[in-house]
Amino acid sequence: MSIAWRSPHSVTIHNQSKAYPGYTLVDPMHTSDVWLIDMEGYFVHRWKLPTIPRNHGVLLPNGNLLYATAAPITESESERQPLPKGWGMGAGLIEMDWESNLVWKYVDPYQSHTFWRMENGNTMILTAVVVPDDIAARVQGGIPGTEESGVMWADGFHEVAPDGEVIWEWSAGDHLDPDIDIMCPLEIRGDWIHANSCVVLPDGNILTSFRNTSTLCIIERATGNITWRWGPGEISHQHDPRPLGNGNILVFDNGGHRPGSTISYSRVVEVNPSTDKIEWEYKADPPESFYSALISGCQRLSNGNTLICEGQKGRIFEVTPDGEIVWEFINPFYAYHPWTSYFGCSNLMFRAYRYEEDYEGLKGRKLDPKDLDLVNRIYGPVAFRE
Amino acid sequence: MIAEQKGTTSVTLYSKIKAYGGYTLFAPAGGDHVYLIDMKGQFVHKWKLPYPTIGHGVLLPNGNLLLAAKSPSGPLTELEGTRGELLEITWDGTVVWKYEDPYMHDDFCRMKNGHTIVIRWIQTPADIANRVKGGLQGTEREGVMWCDSFREINPRGRILWEWFGYEHLDPEVDTICPLCSRSEWTHASSCVFLPNGNILTSFTRINTVAVIDKATGNIEWRWGPEELGHQHDASVTESRNILVFDSGVHVPWVEMGYSQVREIDITTNKEIWGFRHDPWVAFYAPCMGNCQRLPNGNTLICQGDTGRIFEITPHGETVWEFISPFYHSSAVYGRNNMIFRAHRYGYDYLGLKGAKFNL
Repeated sequence: MSIAWRSPHSVTIHNQSKAYPGYTLVDPMHTSDVWLIDMEGYFVHRWKLPTIPRNHGVLLPNGNLLYATAAPITESESERQPLPKGWGMGAGLIEMDWESNLVWKYVDPYQSHTFWRMENGNTMILTAVVVPDDIAARVQGGIPGTEESGVMWADGFHEVAPDGEVIWEWSAGDHLDPDIDIMCPLEIRGDWIHANSCVVLPDGNILTSFRNTSTLCIIERATGNITWRWGPGEISHQHDPRPLGNGNILVFDNGGHRPGSTISYSRVVEVNPSTDKIEWEYKADPPESFYSALISGCQRLSNGNTLICEGQKGRIFEVTPDGEIVWEFINPFYAYHPWTSYFGCSNLMFRAYRYEEDYEGLKGRKLDPKDLDLVNRIYGPVAFRE
Repeated sequence: MIAEQKGTTSVTLYSKIKAYGGYTLFAPAGGDHVYLIDMKGQFVHKWKLPYPTIGHGVLLPNGNLLLAAKSPSGPLTELEGTRGELLEITWDGTVVWKYEDPYMHDDFCRMKNGHTIVIRWIQTPADIANRVKGGLQGTEREGVMWCDSFREINPRGRILWEWFGYEHLDPEVDTICPLCSRSEWTHASSCVFLPNGNILTSFTRINTVAVIDKATGNIEWRWGPEELGHQHDASVTESRNILVFDSGVHVPWVEMGYSQVREIDITTNKEIWGFRHDPWVAFYAPCMGNCQRLPNGNTLICQGDTGRIFEITPHGETVWEFISPFYHSSAVYGRNNMIFRAHRYGYDYLGLKGAKFNL
């Protein structure tokens, strides 16, 4: 194993005066548990999940865990993922209460990556759609002849009511422009845009990220039009844009297939959508010491720090605006993906979320490391201290 | 300025029974020394260089160090792999031979007859350059697409033979990676003079390993497009297979970033042995690195970007590992402990006969 894979796990850096206190959702993609840890790395809560693998979950204000599964929710053939494996595709959503009881599920074999629980209780999901042949033929870029059985897929959004009814939908094929939304030349043409993010903004519009065109978009809900596009030439195969209070957008610029560069590095950038200027960035020194070509995410915390999930390395860390690392956690849970070999035995995490101590979803919850004493003795911070 | 960072250093793993005993040669990027270490990581010899540089050296059978160094100035210094000077330095540090050429880059090869083959940049004639496919449109360097030549020189520096890439490459076939600039067509990164007199090379930008017939100049074997991701080093094994350090950057579809060492049967173009880590991303060096098949069947790998040299058995078990403690800062790579290449010399290597080690 390389030195990185022998290095300590759990919380490895914690600067108490500078880090933003709270609980971090630790969500290893290939194991059957989701955890909450405290700032020291002690496990204080555990959800046991019925499906492996998954993409990621969030802690809702009602204290439930809502997550996107990447495995069929039941064994029913009709729920099986019809798309090729390894596309970041899912199979639906599962909501469970604090005690891991199933509260709600939504099955859609075309669902992918992520979701957004709206304030009205509906859920916006990403779902794969077929691009009409005449449009597909005009799409530029990609590796010639790599349509999936002759088909080019793209993405759509469905707003799903609690009873499962789809009450609004948007389909990429109706709104994208083959002359503008040009694919990375090294991606397969079976997957035009590879949308990997879904945020419903306060005004109802949707902020999303298209990996294969290296583009962030805002979609106007009323018209379906793309009202803002940014990214090509600036970022590469990014994930997880999140709106900030100042109107800017924070995004994890993965850096896979970065044009004009063989140096492989990720960064987190804050872009001002009214000027298209990057106003803040975090990049490591050396740049290659922070790199996750796939998955990953970022979250701006209330004290101005940024929580970063370097997903492929199983690392979550927090940086100050000056780029100082004030907290770091290495996921100690390793597993093989059930059907894909290329991740190996890894500790991947799709995203990370920090919840502050007075977050609504944590109100009245008992968060005591002693309740998970055995887990803490094996995987907690003490286990990795020399 | 280069600084040794105490405590982060040296040999971290050593299986005496399984590793191939010998001395490992490496030149920390940005440093002004070349080091020889023993299996325990002890520095047994060092050569002082005239200036801090990025380059690499080999220990010749006569005991001298032959080193390609990046000279402080030159016309193309911003291109990756710039060299500029070849220096032959005796064990005690005397420069006994020097060859200057600002267009040299990456690698070189000392032939048995004492001649040296160097790789150098040459300009692709515009009419040919215009026909070359691929690359990012409009990214030629000041309108020029650079290509490679191989030049054979004798000890006096006289040119005895030269191969110009654009005369033998095919603009239709030798296509630039679509994510790379058109400042260079091929970027040769290695050069091996084969026993049959031909030349084995690795053209990084077109993801191609090639054998060039020295007599005719023809490219008589090509392999790699759709297989390789900007490989950095190709060498030949005892069993006449090709061993390639596949950097794994700009790989179609699979963008996760992992390197591989691959052994290719030149007669079938099939991979007969390979190494990658588990997880795959734990071994990744997109910009520099090399591999060497050792006499006991193990393979020495230099994971250049992260300053790691390690040795694996045919089964992929790591039996020796060294992490460079030498850090320097560069505008492009940040604060790093990079190593362009590493070589292992067995205890019985001719060039080490009678060598006095500092212990």
